Amino acid sequence: MTTLSLKNVTRRFGGLVAVDSVSFDIGSTGVTAVIGPNGAGKTTLFSLISGALAPSDGQIFLDGRDITGIRPEDVAARGLIRTFQLVQLFQNMSVLDNVKAGQHLHTRGGIFAALARPGWARREETQIEARAWELLEFVGLSDHAHAFATALPYGQQRLLEVARALAAKPKLLLLDEPAAGLNADETKRLSGIIRRIAETGTAVLLIEHDMTLVMNTADEVVVLDFGKKIAQGLPEEVQKNPDVLAAYLGGVEIGHG
Amino acid sequence: MTSLLATTLPSRFRWTDTLAWLPWIISAGIVGYAFLSGGYVVTLVVFALIYAVFVIGLNIFMGFTNQVSFGQNAFAAISGYTSAVLTTAYEWTTLPAIAVGVALAVLCAFLIGYPTLRLKGHYLAMGTLAIGLITYEISVEWSSVTQGYMGISGIPPLGIGAYEVTSDRGQLALLVVIVLILTFMSARIRTSRLGRAFFAVAGSEDAARALGVDVARYKLASFILSAACAALAGSLFVHVVGFVSPEVFGLHMVILSFTMLYVGGIGTVAGPLLGALIVSLLPDTFRAFKDYQDLAYGAVLILLLIYAPRGLAALFDRYVPAKKVGGAP
Amino acid sequence: MGDLSFVLQILVSGLGVGCVYGLIGIGFCVIYNASGIVNFAQGAFVMLGGMITHALLQRAGLPLPLAAAISIVLVAALGVVVERVVVRPLWNRQATMFVMILATLAAQIVIERLTLIVAGDQPRTLPVFTDLPPIRIGTIAIGYQFLWIVGGSLTIVTLLALFFRMTNTGKAMRACAINREAASLLGIPVSRMLALSFALSAALGAIAGILITPTQYTAFNVGVPFAISGFIAAIVGGFGRPFGAFLGGLMLGLVQAIAVVSLGAGLKNVAALSVLLVFLFFRPSGLLGTSK
Repeated sequence: MTTLSLKNVTRRFGGLVAVDSVSFDIGSTGVTAVIGPNGAGKTTLFSLISGALAPSDGQIFLDGRDITGIRPEDVAARGLIRTFQLVQLFQNMSVLDNVKAGQHLHTRGGIFAALARPGWARREETQIEARAWELLEFVGLSDHAHAFATALPYGQQRLLEVARALAAKPKLLLLDEPAAGLNADETKRLSGIIRRIAETGTAVLLIEHDMTLVMNTADEVVVLDFGKKIAQGLPEEVQKNPDVLAAYLGGVEIGHG
Repeated sequence: MTSLLATTLPSRFRWTDTLAWLPWIISAGIVGYAFLSGGYVVTLVVFALIYAVFVIGLNIFMGFTNQVSFGQNAFAAISGYTSAVLTTAYEWTTLPAIAVGVALAVLCAFLIGYPTLRLKGHYLAMGTLAIGLITYEISVEWSSVTQGYMGISGIPPLGIGAYEVTSDRGQLALLVVIVLILTFMSARIRTSRLGRAFFAVAGSEDAARALGVDVARYKLASFILSAACAALAGSLFVHVVGFVSPEVFGLHMVILSFTMLYVGGIGTVAGPLLGALIVSLLPDTFRAFKDYQDLAYGAVLILLLIYAPRGLAALFDRYVPAKKVGGAP
Repeated sequence: MGDLSFVLQILVSGLGVGCVYGLIGIGFCVIYNASGIVNFAQGAFVMLGGMITHALLQRAGLPLPLAAAISIVLVAALGVVVERVVVRPLWNRQATMFVMILATLAAQIVIERLTLIVAGDQPRTLPVFTDLPPIRIGTIAIGYQFLWIVGGSLTIVTLLALFFRMTNTGKAMRACAINREAASLLGIPVSRMLALSFALSAALGAIAGILITPTQYTAFNVGVPFAISGFIAAIVGGFGRPFGAFLGGLMLGLVQAIAVVSLGAGLKNVAALSVLLVFLFFRPSGLLGTSK
């Protein structure tokens, strides 16, 4: 059963081919990691999948439906939720409200619900609140629920972003370099959280530099180099792949896992 | 601001809870004083409350949603002139005239907002400023309807059917009710799904979109709510004063409303009311020299932007969402 | 034929006004390039250029060239004051773009009102620089002030081009426009460039105000319309391109002239603002810019 399917996805910037005919499928469970040396096209690929950029060529399917080139908010509405490499929290809201805002897609109600507060809107609000507390509990932030999002240390902001993404009940969760800026302890904790997300039945796709995180967390690894897919497989297989080693030679050392 | 929603006092007394009430106590004090003393102060406070209606709207668009509009005076003008023309040239009664005025302004906001809100940064600022200025020019030039610089006089006072509110205190009471209702509405919006969507757009458009928030739609919704408040303020103004001319809705209105918003505290619920009252009363000492007023507003605005960008109400505002009804586990 | 010459006459005057809009537009670009700030107080400089020259001429009895020169220097100094008192503190506090716009707009109002208090609300005008009957080409009369405006503007544009290309300061300002951090790393005093850009931009505004005043009038409240026109010129030219802004100014001047002929003088400003909205909505990168 595939959740996400890429077919010959290509993106050109002028003469430069940032992503070159990349195809792969992602199952409806488990953690997939996209790795590659700097400039391999990981971030561009991520933007293509999440709708921030439109591909020059090729198609992207989510649950069998074509999502190529649709707006980010529509991609999200189909169940593909992303986080950002540089944490993008709603700084003007509390930690709890950030997670509540994450449930936007699964709630309704506009001006009428806001002003008249009919019964269904109040019940919905109660459910949102309870769910937000659960998610904060899950990532270990419930003690800081009332703090402003920006008051959290960076590692916790990262976790809050994950909790907020989970609030949108993703079928597929895209994590853009989730370990960036985290120390070893925080990375380990994040790795545990990602595993637990996968165990609850949400597929996870992460783009990552940190090899420790990838090797500890991923079920499958896709390797990009110069915009092309050069390998795909289990982490331990990929680690031994001569093409991958060649691509990484002089780059990030692979194989702490 | 949570204090506005609280129906019962917290069981345990906390100093900070009292502090949260302070903007309301100050505002109530000013309004109460005006009501008791009567005379000129009433007129001042009535104008302040009309401006509060305008600024409550501005706050939804700018404070909640973090967008920019220098052109909300356009909607005040559209509604104000509609009210004036319908009641004088066509002898409508006040209430339907206001309703049509506000509806027309909202329709214009919808049509104008759609292309304008795609703009960002200084383009958005200039685009909205242009809309306000175009409306001003039209109100001057379309003299067959607006009577140009001469303005329209003899506009009937506020009222329902045959009952007209003509006394100063009556107007004051009516406006207090209107402002309280609007403030209550803005507080409710702030703690709702709609409000969270506005705040999400303000916090990070990219993140909001990634969570499925239709950013363009919520910007437009916020703009229309804001325009509706501006329109209501415009109509209230012409019926209270009995006269309208282009200058009423000019650039002066823009600068004054921004000063009020920043004095009171942008993004807070109490801010617009507090700011409108304080800004209207303070320069009263300069009233003899009308030219000094805009000078004072401009200078105060610059100082606030530099030294106190969050305003007065923000000093007391402990926006702690989950502390409201329902409570934290 | 009478109609045609009337139209041509209006177009000529539109071209003259367009040069002035162009200069103001360049003023916007100079500050924007140095800092990323759009200075909404630009109109105050235009207004003061005319007002101060008038005061020096009438009250102090100075000859016109001297009055104009002193006025330009004073307005440039005021530009630096605005930068130091309003823009710099906000800049240091990393205020948002919107706060910066609002603060400069407030500065515009403050300057405007101070002028009103000091000088009153009487409109004033300056004598034409060369008091000779207009030159006649066929049926069209071209006044000497028109020649002053066109000649003066072209001279200024040429001098600016030389300044940006030939002098170290000019090159440093261009470097700031391209990449502020890199410029700072290269040892270019970025903050002094900001002050300089305000001085330069204010001087440009003052020159524009002095050139145009003999053909119209000046008063405390002419600043905002001029600033809007200059901004439109800058947008039409593709924001941040000084020479594009000059061409944008010419275009705006012509469009306004056509609007006056076809719609009546009252709708002059509506026409200009409509040009602005058309560009903002459909071609925000300007005529010369590539769409983003």
